[in-house]
Amino acid sequence: MDERSDTPMPMNLICTVKFVPEPDSLTAGPHQLILNPDDACALAFALALKSRDPGIGVEVVSLGPLSVRPHMEDLLRLAVDRGTLIWDPGLKNSDAYVTSRVLSRYIAERPCDCVLTGSHSLDGGSAQVPVQIAESLGLDQMLGVIRIDPDRFDPTRAVFQAVDETGVTTWEMALPGVLSLTRESGYKLPYPTLTDLRREVSEELNILTSRDLGFSADEVGPAGSLTRVSASSPVTYGEKDPEIVGLDDNGITQVVDFLKKKGVGR
Amino acid sequence: MKKTCILQDTETPEKTTDLLAAAVRMYGRDGFESHVVLVNAPPATVTGRCHHVIQMTESLAAEDDPRALAEILEILHQTYGFDSILIPATTLGKMIAPRLAWRLKTGLATGVTDITVRDGQLEITRPAGLGTMLETILQEGQGPVIMTIRINAFEYTQKQAVPTRISPYSRPVTVRSTLTRLGVEQNIEPRDIRDFEVLVAGGGGAIRCFPALEPLADALNGAVAASRKLVDLGIAKRNIQVGQSGKTVTPKVYLALGIHGSMQHLAGLRGAASILAVNTSSHAPICRVSDLVVQGDACEFIEKLMGKLMHHPHKNT
Repeated sequence: MDERSDTPMPMNLICTVKFVPEPDSLTAGPHQLILNPDDACALAFALALKSRDPGIGVEVVSLGPLSVRPHMEDLLRLAVDRGTLIWDPGLKNSDAYVTSRVLSRYIAERPCDCVLTGSHSLDGGSAQVPVQIAESLGLDQMLGVIRIDPDRFDPTRAVFQAVDETGVTTWEMALPGVLSLTRESGYKLPYPTLTDLRREVSEELNILTSRDLGFSADEVGPAGSLTRVSASSPVTYGEKDPEIVGLDDNGITQVVDFLKKKGVGR
Repeated sequence: MKKTCILQDTETPEKTTDLLAAAVRMYGRDGFESHVVLVNAPPATVTGRCHHVIQMTESLAAEDDPRALAEILEILHQTYGFDSILIPATTLGKMIAPRLAWRLKTGLATGVTDITVRDGQLEITRPAGLGTMLETILQEGQGPVIMTIRINAFEYTQKQAVPTRISPYSRPVTVRSTLTRLGVEQNIEPRDIRDFEVLVAGGGGAIRCFPALEPLADALNGAVAASRKLVDLGIAKRNIQVGQSGKTVTPKVYLALGIHGSMQHLAGLRGAASILAVNTSSHAPICRVSDLVVQGDACEFIEKLMGKLMHHPHKNT
């Protein structure tokens, strides 16, 4: 990351995003891609901040196939200052470790006060990448962020709320750092204006390869990965042949009998 | 003899020993030596159940500092040479395990729900794709094997007590996070929904009568749970959410009131012994996995069942 001077500078925010299959298309092809909802919230927060202070720089970076290019271009139409798509065929079937390595190497070379990510992705959900980006860059990180206080978010620190098993905690964390938001934050992406919708942005999207970032072929893809998915199968649940009753007295009586049989009640 | 390291579940310490069941799957009951790292619980929590307790000295690091805890686990691995490191898939665990895996340059399997050994190779199972898919993960490289284990995915039953050695861990940590807790809004619910034998869960069909679930749950000696829909709408708290992005529950009876039964929701229900579904459509996915289906409106059902229970209370406990 860039050296910091004493002069207050506008903040630079980098949002890592992933495009995932739309949930309803998970079990039936062809898959439609959407911006991962948690990542969308992270970007939405960055853009909301930028709308208050246009000097703030917002960059979006994604590791994904070239087929997501139109989606990345859509983000460039939303006041995102810079968009970068990292892809080459060698990156196919990279695991989360390789993804973390590639993204963090890219981010390390960019001016950045805060990396904003989603907490989980719809398709994987492991939350591994944002944590490993933070570890790689020697930064603090928090999962489950549901609100960031825009008035206490500056190049030195962030005050935010995060949710975990025990409740909602308000934290302060030094920046640079990594904040990983969830859908519960409710931050919504703005709609592009008609002018923006018509804007030609294809030349503005940066396309990088793993080689551009200094990786050799054996460091990416399956060769560089530390885990491998050997099989993937739809979840099946033991289907039953339940008795169906109505809401009449007979039905409710059967429910009470069912509960009794199970030993339920006070 | 294999060596497995287990990090304490700092939220529910008594769940820590369930991770021993994952080690049993990997190495057999007598095939490993267990080292449990305690962060904020006394040794008595696991004494007699594991071979070695490593008690972190008080004030060595904050109990919720993922960077410090990752460093401690790394140093312990360098000392003991673990074959596997098992971490509860809590929010904190999810922030520790990737850091540790990065430091040790080893693979990480997250949210693990099952483990099998085939031809000497570990096959690690985890849900993916919003709970609609199960992935089998193979670890490449030297290891150790690092996993976060989904809470309630394994249950450990002990055959006999084992002698437990207790060691303090007091080596100063060199990396601490700058995270400072400014305030906490605790969950109001005094008990975890995973502790209840009866859960009365509401979904989209119970939006308008969600508060009525509480007295019904109380009458059945159970607790209220919810689908993601109600959590996203702000009607229910996240800590009572069942499903892929919520909790995995194992109740004796699960009452699914107005819950459609998405794959994500069903992913949290795999351990439910019996399911009673109330739904306006008997074709809702939840009905296919239920033992009894009441076709009708969830709110009307609550009213009628409460009326019946009030007039004819039954006692089983």
